[in-house]
Amino acid sequence: MDLDTLFSFEWGVMSPEFIILGTATLLSIIDLFMKRESSRKPLAWLAGAGVLASLVAIFMQLDQDVTSILYDTYRLDSFSKAFKILLLLGTLLVLVLASNYKKEDVEENRGEFYYLLLAALLGAMVMASSADLITLFVGLELLSLSSYIMAGLERKNKRSNESAFKYVVSGGIATAITLFGMSYIFGLTGETNLFRIAENMGNVELLKHSFLIVFAFIITFAGLTFKIAAAPLHMWAPDVYEGAPVPVTAFLSVVSKTAGFVILLRVIIITFIAAPGIGSEPLLLQVQPYVMILAAATMIIGNVTALRQRNIKRMFAYSSIAQAGYILVPFVSNSSLLFELIWFYLLAYLFMNIGAFTVIQLLTSQEGSNDIGVFRGLFKRSPWLAVPMTFFVLSLAGIPVTAGFIGKFGIFMGALGLEPAHYWLAAVMMATTLVSYVYYFNIIAIMFFRDGDSEGKRVSVPGSMAAVLAFCAASVLILGIMPDLALDFFYGNFDVNEFFMQIETEVHTHDH
Amino acid sequence: MLQSSWLIPLFPLLSFILLLILRKSKSESTAWIGVLLTGISLVLSVGVWLAVWQGDFIKVEGTWFQIGERAITMGYEVNPLNALMLVIVSLVSFLVHLYSKGYMHGDERFPVFFAYLGLFSFAMLGLVLSPNLLQLYMFWELVGLGSFLLIGFYYFKPEAKAAAKKAFVMTRIGDVGLFIGMVLLFWQVGSFEYDEIFASVKNGDISSGMLTLTALCIFVGAIGKSGQLPLHTWLPDAMEGPTPVSALIHAATMVAAGVYLVAAMYPLFQASETALTVVAVVGGVTAIFAASIGLMQKDIKRVLAYSTVSQLGYMMLALGASGYVAGIFHLTTHAFFKALLFLAAGSVIHAVHTQNIEEMGGLWKKLRVTGPLFLIGALAISGVPLLSGFFSKDEILASTYADGKYGLFWLAVVAAFMTAFYMFRLFFLVFTGKPRGDQSGVHESPGVMTLPMIVLGVLAVVAGYLNTTWFGTFLSDYLARGPVELPHAEHHGPGWIPIVATAASLLGIALAYLIYRRGALSRDWMTRSLPGLSDVIYNKWYVDEGYDATFVKGTKGLSKLGILFDKYVVDGLVAAVVSGVQGLSKIGSRLQNGQVQSYGTFAIFGIVILLLIVALTGGYFS
Repeated sequence: MDLDTLFSFEWGVMSPEFIILGTATLLSIIDLFMKRESSRKPLAWLAGAGVLASLVAIFMQLDQDVTSILYDTYRLDSFSKAFKILLLLGTLLVLVLASNYKKEDVEENRGEFYYLLLAALLGAMVMASSADLITLFVGLELLSLSSYIMAGLERKNKRSNESAFKYVVSGGIATAITLFGMSYIFGLTGETNLFRIAENMGNVELLKHSFLIVFAFIITFAGLTFKIAAAPLHMWAPDVYEGAPVPVTAFLSVVSKTAGFVILLRVIIITFIAAPGIGSEPLLLQVQPYVMILAAATMIIGNVTALRQRNIKRMFAYSSIAQAGYILVPFVSNSSLLFELIWFYLLAYLFMNIGAFTVIQLLTSQEGSNDIGVFRGLFKRSPWLAVPMTFFVLSLAGIPVTAGFIGKFGIFMGALGLEPAHYWLAAVMMATTLVSYVYYFNIIAIMFFRDGDSEGKRVSVPGSMAAVLAFCAASVLILGIMPDLALDFFYGNFDVNEFFMQIETEVHTHDH
Repeated sequence: MLQSSWLIPLFPLLSFILLLILRKSKSESTAWIGVLLTGISLVLSVGVWLAVWQGDFIKVEGTWFQIGERAITMGYEVNPLNALMLVIVSLVSFLVHLYSKGYMHGDERFPVFFAYLGLFSFAMLGLVLSPNLLQLYMFWELVGLGSFLLIGFYYFKPEAKAAAKKAFVMTRIGDVGLFIGMVLLFWQVGSFEYDEIFASVKNGDISSGMLTLTALCIFVGAIGKSGQLPLHTWLPDAMEGPTPVSALIHAATMVAAGVYLVAAMYPLFQASETALTVVAVVGGVTAIFAASIGLMQKDIKRVLAYSTVSQLGYMMLALGASGYVAGIFHLTTHAFFKALLFLAAGSVIHAVHTQNIEEMGGLWKKLRVTGPLFLIGALAISGVPLLSGFFSKDEILASTYADGKYGLFWLAVVAAFMTAFYMFRLFFLVFTGKPRGDQSGVHESPGVMTLPMIVLGVLAVVAGYLNTTWFGTFLSDYLARGPVELPHAEHHGPGWIPIVATAASLLGIALAYLIYRRGALSRDWMTRSLPGLSDVIYNKWYVDEGYDATFVKGTKGLSKLGILFDKYVVDGLVAAVVSGVQGLSKIGSRLQNGQVQSYGTFAIFGIVILLLIVALTGGYFS
């Protein structure tokens, strides 16, 4: 590749990423020159401004056609735009949480969190925008490595250290599994570009290796589910969520999970769409039972184990495992609504989960405990915390008039609406949802029906946290009453067909 | 008038919001906000009902949101069935608001109680106005939430907290059925609209197996909400809530929502003989089962709760036996007399501060208003001629007989006998005889409490004349204008049915009289004033003992059997499910042992199992 080619690319399409990269670099330099004892809070605002600018850049790209540079290692299509909005929005809210996060006996003035967060975000955005196994993997590792460090950021807290260590080891195992699966894919097709892999998958020659393709599918799929914390690679989540600082937990459970679904969709759908299965069926139909087992196991393990948790962060870890199980359901049914169902659910999930973590952060840091008892008598003490928290929990449980209901409703319709209808999966989803009512409503019951010992102790809520709460609660309600706001935005600006559109750039004329 | 019917649920919602803002207020005049706003709803509802009576209907809807090609709609609809429900709900809600002004006097969270009442009324009215299943489902859940908050209102009592949770989770089991049925129907029909579903059913677009399946799924929802066997156990526990709540939610409105659901979806049920039979059998068995348990309860509200379960069973029986009008008719009359009974019971509890009927007695003279009103309610529910319950129960029996369900018919007659018996056992123990507890401070309730009871008392008497073979079948003519094609609108069963029904009810009353009134009196009265007639006395005693040996022992035995069934079979099943889930949960937590190496093992092991399944099922080794 010569300089001319390099300059001929439309670099402008990468502006959202450049903004994040620039902000992260700037932050690390400023941090270097700041006095040791001065507060790092301004860095949070700067990081927030960067994320906001990047978000604006994406909105300006909304009308742009599918563009691809660097031989399809980076592409700008509706899919990447739609999901990058979620990633950026999630990070923005997490930044507010982080800027208010204080814990005693931890040195306060630490700036690295902010640029690590941005680096992780950058990795996630690359994952959303790439169609090449290598860049996808690089994005994934950038996200992972930054997250490992963030989980262990409280150096003097043993739990935080343990959390980071477990995350690294589990993540390493998952990476190994993913790479193992990818190596099969590469071995079978000789390509790393997803679209050309897909072309080669359709090759008749491959029919005699159909077993290997199914193996490759299962291994890659399982490896990639690490980030979304689905069974059997879910066990890190409770320990890591428990030990990590609350904003990091919020980031892992929302932004990192969204990124996990993004890479799953990219790799699995594009790569295997034309792949042959064993016998005459196409692969994606044939592997449905396996994905179904994983989805069902994830829902069951998440919801059932959450019942026994007294630690609120662990409970939310299991809850987020269960939520991942729900979002896996559209993968099984391969519904034509796959993208909008997942997008909408993740959007709803973003608001309800970050909202809930906002309340959790406020309560756990004031009470100095992670026990579920911190919610005791909250309605009496601070109704303005209890009421939004009720919305978030109701939404997580999927009760009507909340965004979570619409999301779950869509997924459920998708599961039953296709031939063949997935009755069993729908039944598991309903049964586990029923189980989830028990622990979600336990939180509500504790907030409303139980008096606290800390009678009259109000929880002080900083202004920016209050803004996040109000924004999340309003979004959960508005999307529950007028889901069209989000769905119209999706249909009006995004065309899911672009996801499958291979762009004829100079790739074929060029030799490389 | 009809165009503004969408306003009806909004007034209680407004009341909810206003009272939530004023929740810190110590002034009890905040109650008037709720009373006034539900009063407006009532006036509007009556107006709408009158318009519908003259033959006007309305249906308004618009697109709510779109997923892919599918448009999901939302709107409101008024037809004869739901206009009637609007009046019942808003009327009872209004009266209960008024009554609570007196009953909740002095409660620390007075405005909050009225706020919750407003929320519930909003949800219930919204449910009734819904023109499609999805919207109904949303309000259905909201109604459940309102009920949860109200049952748990006395949250400092652990029983109330447990009851609230139980009610919520138990009814959710039913909701899952409703949800599945609703989504299945959507995929068969392509719409949640009642009209379109009925059109598809009529055109035969849905296979008969699917029709039965969806109808049964929806019926499961009705079972949960209406406390039918085997999901009934939450309803007696729900009596932990304040008594006005029991009158509004667990007697007249929410529990009737299950019956309403079956009635609203009636064309679907009509299309499946199996579904109708299931509805009838579940209803009939519930009617007698709950009545038998009611025979031995000592808590005044629990007797009424089991009686509610039993009466709802009657309504289901009617619907299942193609007695559409009979079911709705009984729903209407029951709403009045059961709300009356609960409010009267509340007035008694208010006066004596206990719910145990063995600590009451002799209250007739002290509660000069409540006593007669309770008697009216008891006579009505027992089916004594000329009161409302007589006509509606008679109609149910007639339809069951006309439908050829003779076994269920006799079951219902026996249940009617039991109903009369336990109601008058209650009446005699509470209002007659000697006081068995401290009744020094007993006084009649204030006017805000007695006035609603008087209104309901009048309705409990006259509501029966809505549909009689003597004065005219107004109700069935009215309902016939709705979307449901009435199966056989006129069924005057054989002339002996009302006689049998009356006999059963009088027999029950007489037996209760002999045991609880006569038995208590005879000891001193007979020996003192009429010593010469000892042989007659002896004979009377003999009769009593004869009754005791046959009826009482028999019914007691049956009741015990019912309680045992409830305890071991129903609760056992529930316990099995619960412990199963808990066991799984324990295994799940045990696997999570904190050792990261075992996490890795688990992951690899999981993948290997999947690969093995692929290899084995895909024939890799063969």
